[in-house]
Amino acid sequence: MSHPQLSSLRNPSRHWWVLGLLFIIFLVNVLPSLRLLGEALADIVAGEKSSFWKVLRSSATWQATWHSLYTSVLATLLALVLGAGLAFFIALTNIRGKSFWVFMFMLPMMIPPQVTALSWLQLMGPGSALLQLLGIAPALGSRQPLYSDWGIALLMGIQHAPLVFLSVRTNLLVLPKELVEAARLSGASQYRIMLDMIFPLCKNGILAGAAIAFVSALGNFGIPAMLGIPASYYVLPTLIYQKMADFGPLMLNEVSSLSVIVGAIAMVGVWVQHRFQSKMPLLGMPGKPLAFDLGTSRLGCEVGLGLIITLILVLPVLALVASSLVPAIGVPLRHDNISFSAYAYMLAGQGVTWRAFENSMFLSLSAAFILAFLALPLAYVIVRRPRRLYSFLLMLVDVPYALPGVVLAIACILLFAKPIPIFQITLYGSLGIILFAYLSRFLTVSFKPVHASMLQFDGALEEAAQLCGASMVRRWRDIIFPLLAPAAFAGFLLVFMIAVNELTVSALLWSAGNETLGVLVFNLEDGGETVLASAISVLIVMMIALLMLVLGILGRNLPKGVIPWRS
Amino acid sequence: MNFRVLSVSAMLVGVVFSGSLQAETLVLYTSQPAQDAQMTVDAFEKANPGTKVEWVRDGTTKLMTKLRAEMAAGVVKPDVLLIADSVTLEQLKKEGILAAYPSAESKAYDPALFDKDGYYHGTKLITTGIAHHANAQQKPASWKDLLKPEYKNQVAMPSPLYSGAALIHLSTITANPDFSWRFYESLKENGASALKGNGSVLTAVASGTSPYGVLADYMAIREKAKGAPIEFVFPAEGVSMVTEPVAIMKDSKQPELARKFVDFVLSEPGQQLVLEQGYLPARNGMKTPEGFPERSQIKLLSFDAAKALENSETDKEGFSKLFN
Repeated sequence: MSHPQLSSLRNPSRHWWVLGLLFIIFLVNVLPSLRLLGEALADIVAGEKSSFWKVLRSSATWQATWHSLYTSVLATLLALVLGAGLAFFIALTNIRGKSFWVFMFMLPMMIPPQVTALSWLQLMGPGSALLQLLGIAPALGSRQPLYSDWGIALLMGIQHAPLVFLSVRTNLLVLPKELVEAARLSGASQYRIMLDMIFPLCKNGILAGAAIAFVSALGNFGIPAMLGIPASYYVLPTLIYQKMADFGPLMLNEVSSLSVIVGAIAMVGVWVQHRFQSKMPLLGMPGKPLAFDLGTSRLGCEVGLGLIITLILVLPVLALVASSLVPAIGVPLRHDNISFSAYAYMLAGQGVTWRAFENSMFLSLSAAFILAFLALPLAYVIVRRPRRLYSFLLMLVDVPYALPGVVLAIACILLFAKPIPIFQITLYGSLGIILFAYLSRFLTVSFKPVHASMLQFDGALEEAAQLCGASMVRRWRDIIFPLLAPAAFAGFLLVFMIAVNELTVSALLWSAGNETLGVLVFNLEDGGETVLASAISVLIVMMIALLMLVLGILGRNLPKGVIPWRS
Repeated sequence: MNFRVLSVSAMLVGVVFSGSLQAETLVLYTSQPAQDAQMTVDAFEKANPGTKVEWVRDGTTKLMTKLRAEMAAGVVKPDVLLIADSVTLEQLKKEGILAAYPSAESKAYDPALFDKDGYYHGTKLITTGIAHHANAQQKPASWKDLLKPEYKNQVAMPSPLYSGAALIHLSTITANPDFSWRFYESLKENGASALKGNGSVLTAVASGTSPYGVLADYMAIREKAKGAPIEFVFPAEGVSMVTEPVAIMKDSKQPELARKFVDFVLSEPGQQLVLEQGYLPARNGMKTPEGFPERSQIKLLSFDAAKALENSETDKEGFSKLFN
């Protein structure tokens, strides 16, 4: 982008707000990681006896590291097969109802991991209300097959497959169609076109997608917590959580060292992702995207897709619904014993369920609102005043989101365990610390749509206004804000949707009266109240589906790239 | 622009803090299952209009970790504790962080069930026995049945690293010469799995992933009443027991309200609620809930509280080594 810089931006007297913005970004996005790094470095320097070396010598550390790598690699492979495969089908063929398939396939990514794990647990094992209803439940004493490394990898693979899907599809949509047509005219078979042309051309998209799926699996907490902890199978995030839960802040030093290890692995993944993503072409040739004619096998392919969606989405959700309707765990669901008592209890409008709902609403709405207001000027500055410093800033904004949530939570505890100097406010143990962590983590989610929109916004408009004497405030009010507002709103909804169900960060930061919805589902399942946990999860899934529909409708009037799953 | 952002965030943060500083709010840490805790709190709020109780539920051992974390950070949250066992409270009493309150209600209680200085009062009797799935092939009658080959890989139990009742159970069994640590070692050899709290054991037994489980009585008996396929057995050798005591924190900001809460839980209406929730009430002269034997019929394994307190850390460590 080489827009002429606007003169007012070169005027130093206008720089105060840019500096203020940079300061807030530093405070929210950079400081926590720095604090964590400082803690670990101080520890390494302290020598042999420090907790960093103790952690390095502990076999539990290496076992959990191995488990993390093993499950994440397996999950990434599965995500690759599922995500890339479906991307080829949906992006390259003349299959019908594409936006429906995309929507159904995106849903598993937006459903929070703890709910995914809970619903799959209700689908398998001898106690599954759904399997009992169908009379095909396994025998008593059969282990829950999901309480294993394979179970964890399976669910994480399904959850993160949409990330690969998005990356590959973005790549496929900009493939030069002319090349393929030329090849076809020269008599190349479909198979050769795929192998010699399309695969090599979307290699970067596949690899970038694999990297992002790997990083997400590495940081996933909900799934290994629900499936691994009962089997004493620990990955790095659950090991950190368990150490904090069992021994508290005494462990803060050790846990910080562990966090640095998992953070470092994640950063390698992020670097790989950026590397391949930057090689992807951004804009393709004009014209219609590729659409291979499936011919007579089209219906077969559609049925196949339907089966996959049924398997990875519909069945687990049905199992969840079945479990929310039984009078007690282990009771088979029959038409005469359907019970809505869990829903009635939940909607009675008081108690911990309601409070968690209120807290999550407050946290996610405030985070979404504040972040929308941060994202607007940030996108403006980065696009209008391209500087080396800002591309660096862009990476920093990404860090708290790319880091495993547990790491960010530990960083926030380190930062706020003691009262904030000068103000003498203790954020630890209040909703404030969770809000801070959300601001840090989700800035990039809110920023990306606005940034994408800003990139496509012609600077000439603003210049014309400036030539006519419109002040900065006036230009923001009459031009910039109205043009960016839809994207900012999309970012707002995205942040809200992710934050309202967030578990990883709040699992370590919640306290009395400050539970979040994610923590509630996790704790209820933990306390044996599976039926209630299922009922809450059913409502969560419904809310997510609804919000995604709203975003989809909104997305029709937005520029490309604003809603991640819309092209 | 950034001023607006700052003022909005300041406003929002302000809301957060004002919320937590409201008067007449009692904070309760409890290991009761969430729905029971809610019932107790609702009943107390109803009996004392204008008061509000915020509560946190977690396993006793985990709650203690949370409490210590907060003490280290200088933000102690709870006014009242209602947790599984008296051994944990005896420890807190020794550390001097509890307030004594010799409630007048304790006249109606067996002196063994409360601290004589009033630092804590038992509220119910919760025994740990064996639960099994209604369709399970074996009908266990004794603790040692769980070591038989028919039970290989079929038994679940709560972890003392999570649950207070499980810790007391561990100390009762290991201090007993008939069982000792050998019993737990044999359980491990027989493929028994240590889950988290009693809640996870209940799920495992009722859903059939582990048809047999070491479990707190009320969980099994109550779920059975709801129709769940689960049975509870008081093993022949006897059961271990906790009393789920209530105690007031010394640094409580609402000491008056905290005392009211203690009196409420110990009072007859409070104990009636305990009965309705399906627990054995601790107060003398109360009925027994549906599905329980008479109080006098329940055989207890011998238990030495002083020794349990002394050994609690090594017990936890030993268990953790064996099962993790």
